[in-house]
Amino acid sequence: MRMRIKVLLAAVLVLAGGVWAAQAEKYIVASDIPWPPFEWASPSGDYLGFDLDVMRCIAVLEGYEIEIQPMAFDSIIPAVRLGQVDIGASGFTITAKREEVVDFSNPYWLSNQAVLVRKDSGFKSLDDVLCCGHKIGAQRGTTGADWVQSNLVDKGVDVKLVLYETYPEAVLDLVNGRLDAVVQDEPASQQSLAAYPKVLTTAGVIETNEYFGFLVAQGDPKGLLPKINEGMVKMGLRCDLMRPAEGQWKVKLRIIPGSAWDYLVRAYFGPKLEKVEAAWKACIKILYDKSLSPEERVFRFAKCLAEKASE
Amino acid sequence: MVSREGGAINHWRNIVEGLPSLLKGLGINVEILLGLISLGFVVGIIIAIVQVYGKKCFVWPAVAYEWFFRGVPELVLILLVFFGLRQFGVKITAFFAATLALGLRSSAYQSQIFRGAIQAVGHGQMLAALSLGMTRIQAIRYVILPQALRLAIPPWSNEFSSVLKDTTLAYAIGVEEILRRANYLRMRDYLITIPVFIIVALLFLVLTYAGNWTLGRLERRFRIPGFEVKGAREERL
Repeated sequence: MRMRIKVLLAAVLVLAGGVWAAQAEKYIVASDIPWPPFEWASPSGDYLGFDLDVMRCIAVLEGYEIEIQPMAFDSIIPAVRLGQVDIGASGFTITAKREEVVDFSNPYWLSNQAVLVRKDSGFKSLDDVLCCGHKIGAQRGTTGADWVQSNLVDKGVDVKLVLYETYPEAVLDLVNGRLDAVVQDEPASQQSLAAYPKVLTTAGVIETNEYFGFLVAQGDPKGLLPKINEGMVKMGLRCDLMRPAEGQWKVKLRIIPGSAWDYLVRAYFGPKLEKVEAAWKACIKILYDKSLSPEERVFRFAKCLAEKASE
Repeated sequence: MVSREGGAINHWRNIVEGLPSLLKGLGINVEILLGLISLGFVVGIIIAIVQVYGKKCFVWPAVAYEWFFRGVPELVLILLVFFGLRQFGVKITAFFAATLALGLRSSAYQSQIFRGAIQAVGHGQMLAALSLGMTRIQAIRYVILPQALRLAIPPWSNEFSSVLKDTTLAYAIGVEEILRRANYLRMRDYLITIPVFIIVALLFLVLTYAGNWTLGRLERRFRIPGFEVKGAREERL
């Protein structure tokens, strides 16, 4: 009897092992939802956004599965370091400080900081705004807040930095006149403008030249970075290193026109969020249509999303 | 501050579309509540009994336990459990981390509720039970606890309302409870921030009222005429 149980157990284990081995690897992607248009959740519970769809497309191209885990922004790097999640995809600016504790993929996005003001404030240029005891709002822990602190406050420019947990509060205070300006990532600032088109305008853009990257644990223990970088190339993003005659190496991002990457950018940066949500619902099944090749699935999905969202 | 032509209608639609998501989130809050309050109940009673009747060597750990879990802020506890257990290789979901942390904390508070209630039952009853030949455990089980639990209902409903609201702290570690979903909604449309938070507040008011009403019914249902604490007045409501 004992023997029989042992044999049975062994058979079950072997079977289970076979089934387990046949499944694709699954990695957990952490993202600070919501931060549209890079990541947000629709009322019906879908996780959308540029970062997340790039992650999905790369997973299809490289033959692994992902699970998206919402998480507070500050918690993502600790979670990646502890091995609780595998990839951080949340509009992370690549900074030297972060590179000390995690490893980044190639850059995938160049972002600058927009300076939002009220239309009735009469500010003509950035110089009018960033001086004269003005109150400037930003989200705590973001590179925008860092920029104001290190380039204005620390250098003795007469401005006051006011920090907020999230951007809507800062924008609301700007609208209500408690702030003179809000410094916010350029793509995300489009949404603030869309919320108050008659009240707000962009006074100018501070060229902070921040590159976003996806991040993994130090040393890339699961070997994900080569796959992510390869996937981005397959989708149509080129990352060229350039060195002007004198000075430092510079990164230049180039998007191949008509590529999947190009379509994803067009889908997410421009159309209203509600339209993107409707388009996403209609197109997402293409990405998982097993009758097509991975490349075709990614391309058709991105194209469908861009076309439906801008209808 | 309606911005666009016809903008107001859009905002209403965004709120209405978001309601099912908020209710689903509230369901998660209730799940956390049920988990944490049952955990707190069981552990709390054990701690209370140990504190009142336990041998000296058990009393001190029980007091230290209560001191720790009543002294650390809830949010810190949640983060400690979530990240701390991972450090030791225990894979724990955000939902369980929140329930466990809040449940342990609640057990410390509940232990004090039960300790007070047990002590309110006259010590003479314990002596009487022992003199009748009951063991200590039998005396606790059949004489002390049935009375103490009845006395504990009013302060316990206070703890209930308190931990019900604490469940929103699970937001911090990514549990998709109502507050996180409210943030999902308002980040899609900044202008519905205040209405969405008002809806969340109203839902919690309803839930707290329903919970306390049920506990009030329980209190009346289990009341034994003649065994109230001497001189106590009934509530008028």
